[in-house]
Amino acid sequence: MTNASKAAPIVLGTLSLLTVLGLWEWSAAAGLAVSTVLPPPSQFMAVVAESGFRIGMGSQASPISQSLVSTFLRVFTGMGIAFAAAILTGALLSLSRVATWCISPLLYLLAPIAPIAWIPTAIVVFGISNTAAIFIVFMGVYFVLTIATLSEIRRIPPEFHTVAANLGASPFERFYRVTLPAILPGVFVLLRSNFTAAWMAVLVAEMVGLRDGLGAIIMMGRNLFNNDLILFGMVIIGVSGFVVDRVLNFISNRIVWWRV
Amino acid sequence: MTISPPMDVDSLPPDIAAGSCVRPILEASRLSISYPGQRGTVVAPLQDFSLAIQTGKITCILGASGSGKTTLLRALGGFITGAPTGGVLFKGRYLQAPTPEIVMIFQENNLFPWLNVRDNVGFGLRYRPWTGEQKESRLSSIIETVGLADAIDRYPHQLSGGMRQRAAIARALVTEPRVLLLDEPFSALDVTLRRRMSEMTNMIWSALGTTMVMVTHNVEEAITMGHRVVILGYQPARIILDEDTSDPEFKDRYGTTFLALQRRIENLIE
Repeated sequence: MTNASKAAPIVLGTLSLLTVLGLWEWSAAAGLAVSTVLPPPSQFMAVVAESGFRIGMGSQASPISQSLVSTFLRVFTGMGIAFAAAILTGALLSLSRVATWCISPLLYLLAPIAPIAWIPTAIVVFGISNTAAIFIVFMGVYFVLTIATLSEIRRIPPEFHTVAANLGASPFERFYRVTLPAILPGVFVLLRSNFTAAWMAVLVAEMVGLRDGLGAIIMMGRNLFNNDLILFGMVIIGVSGFVVDRVLNFISNRIVWWRV
Repeated sequence: MTISPPMDVDSLPPDIAAGSCVRPILEASRLSISYPGQRGTVVAPLQDFSLAIQTGKITCILGASGSGKTTLLRALGGFITGAPTGGVLFKGRYLQAPTPEIVMIFQENNLFPWLNVRDNVGFGLRYRPWTGEQKESRLSSIIETVGLADAIDRYPHQLSGGMRQRAAIARALVTEPRVLLLDEPFSALDVTLRRRMSEMTNMIWSALGTTMVMVTHNVEEAITMGHRVVILGYQPARIILDEDTSDPEFKDRYGTTFLALQRRIENLIE
């Protein structure tokens, strides 16, 4: 791939984004009705900057970075635990066909449940807390990743295990030197595609129950009839989600890049 | 390695018990292997089969598809155990499981895609009771021998088919096994590369003297590479030709000795 063709998606993507922003700013400057519902970035950014990038009323106002950290912590803790637990469960299940037959129906029944559906249960069980949010993310990702792990383990060429055993690796060494690296890229791809679901689940949880986080910014904007705050919250959520997706994409392509 | 106590030599088949002046390193002794087939049938590729593998020689096994070549090779490697009768004897003891002393190379999927050449080749070294220096020296030496010194940091997807198989051979040999089993290792390569790989394998054998057993479909490869060519008849497998091909006359592809044997083997396999 030449440098020009590598740069083309970035240049075109940036140009299209700038066009949308330009149209948005122009519509507000032209006094179109849409600007009252969708204030342009120059407006809501100025308002938020005036408050020193702090969200909340009076002494209870907290920096935006705190909301960002709270949301990220919830999403990544939930996803990290789910990722590790799914690989462990998948690996253990792969050792026994009977165990797989017993557990599989449960996995396939629970996997399609959207993480948002777990919000009421999580709040009842854990109360309004970080644990509830982490639990929601976990439930939204764990079952899908466990199924993916099982499927990835089945895809490993039997020769890999034969070679490792033949060269002297014990069953445990075969797990962490062969099975684990062989399944990591496939499971990670699914983790990345499930990030959006986990991200949305936490935001909804923050909107309906938890008092901080990026979702709570939007709810505060709604309660105060403050469109600037709502739009600012939406932009922060969009940009953070985009950055995380790029980071996960980088990990997928550069760190766990191999395909079995 | 799990092995049973030494067996009684009197219980060996006459051909093995009589033996040659050099005791075979590996022997299929009255080996029977069967497994369930389709619609309740039983497939029995090996029945009361015996074959002695000579120490320090290259034995090539040929036969029609389904003649039990690969089953035999896997059994020789200890990958198929629990045979109802007979077994595989390694250094005079029944083989119960795979052992690092008998290493197998497959047609494909030999290399781990997440490891570079150096780490792939050195995979088995950590299980050897050698010092770090000894391991390092053996690793460098074998990578040099197979001509991959310039590709040491490359990953399998950055290697050609021939380079991948050379890396697989290096990985198998770096642990200094007593026996190397090759299951059609060059069948995915083109004719020119196959010949180069055969020559390289012979060169490695000259340097290390490792006992090798190779299953192949290629008659030319078997005659030119092997010191002995064994042809298996259809199931249950039986030896229909066992020819000593160590004489240099067999190595001339255009010579009458080579061509006569090639024609004879092709007729037998057909």
